[in-house]
Amino acid sequence: MNRRNAALAATAATLAGAAALADFRSPMEVDVAQLAAEIEAGDDHISALDLGERIMKGDGDIRVLDLRTEAEFGEFHIPGARLISIAALAKETLPRDATIALYSEGGAHAAQAWVLLRLRGYRKAVVLREGVYEWVSRVVEPRLAADATAAERTEFERAAVLSRYFGGVPRTGVGRSELRTGYWTDAAQARPDARSIRRRGC
Amino acid sequence: MTAPLTETGALGSTGELVAAPLIGMAFGWCLERPGLGYAPKLAGQFYLSDLTVYKVMFSALLTAMLGAFWLDRMGLLNLSLVSMPETYVLPQALGGVLFGAGFLVAGLCPGTSCVAAASGRLDGFCVIGGMLGGVALFHAVFPWVQRFYESTALGSVTFAEMLNVSRGMGIALVTLVALGGFAIAGRIEKARS
Repeated sequence: MNRRNAALAATAATLAGAAALADFRSPMEVDVAQLAAEIEAGDDHISALDLGERIMKGDGDIRVLDLRTEAEFGEFHIPGARLISIAALAKETLPRDATIALYSEGGAHAAQAWVLLRLRGYRKAVVLREGVYEWVSRVVEPRLAADATAAERTEFERAAVLSRYFGGVPRTGVGRSELRTGYWTDAAQARPDARSIRRRGC
Repeated sequence: MTAPLTETGALGSTGELVAAPLIGMAFGWCLERPGLGYAPKLAGQFYLSDLTVYKVMFSALLTAMLGAFWLDRMGLLNLSLVSMPETYVLPQALGGVLFGAGFLVAGLCPGTSCVAAASGRLDGFCVIGGMLGGVALFHAVFPWVQRFYESTALGSVTFAEMLNVSRGMGIALVTLVALGGFAIAGRIEKARS
């Protein structure tokens, strides 16, 4: 081995040794602070409108997973979604580069699945925060109040396009009390029963 | 090869069109310099008489691996933007065997066949023709082999993830194997010359 090759080998060995020391965390270990920061920043969820637009555009980089029961899935599910149980998700091989959108009846089950996927190293998992309720109320049956603000009209126009695409019925001119609320609204109204809404879905 | 310049849009579409042939030519030049456009030299790999291919390829791998890791650590490269191909164990193992057989028969691989053709070697043109023919044939029979093609999928898994060690430890292991391999390759070449 000549001197130049020896110097190159020593450089590579030094850089590799330093890499092992700098990054000693096992892939199964999770940076809890990073997870907390993602949740705090809202990076852990996707809105129903964003999800709907990606499905409508035929985005091949998104996988939608439904964590409810088989009966609930059979009754109604987000177009393109695949039914999967938490137990199956623990072993399932999913594309690492794809956005994996998780939803359940409410949000708890999907949030648990999100943690599970993050533990398994899937960095692009997201949760539909209010699950099926959010999908139905914001995408399938969006409503616009008679006294809607400009911002509400803008969002409704966006939702109406999706609603028609997914076979829903956008409604205009409804009273404030008929508007559905969630984390996306400021109104402190009681949440309607998601189950009754879901059964009227597409 | 242009990642992450393409992913970040740093070059713009015109810049990418200019960069692609320049990078391609630089790659070809790097292959030509150690003589990898010459089929007998490449075939020597399989007879353990000339291990230049192993040394060149593993040197490139080490450079890219260490460079990408440290650039990412320094915040100059976002590795999450770099696309990683998915692993399909059996189809890729079979593909590897077919690729190796073609490599042995032709004495050239896809990159070096372009280098050979650019140097005016007839065998380079023949290999490129065979390669394009193979691509067309694969396209024609794809519906029949699709099931096998998509079987035994592992997703975009890395070597370190498979071993359940940190990325840094995975890098150290690959480097160790490569440096050990260089030393062994040197001895084999010396013994055979």
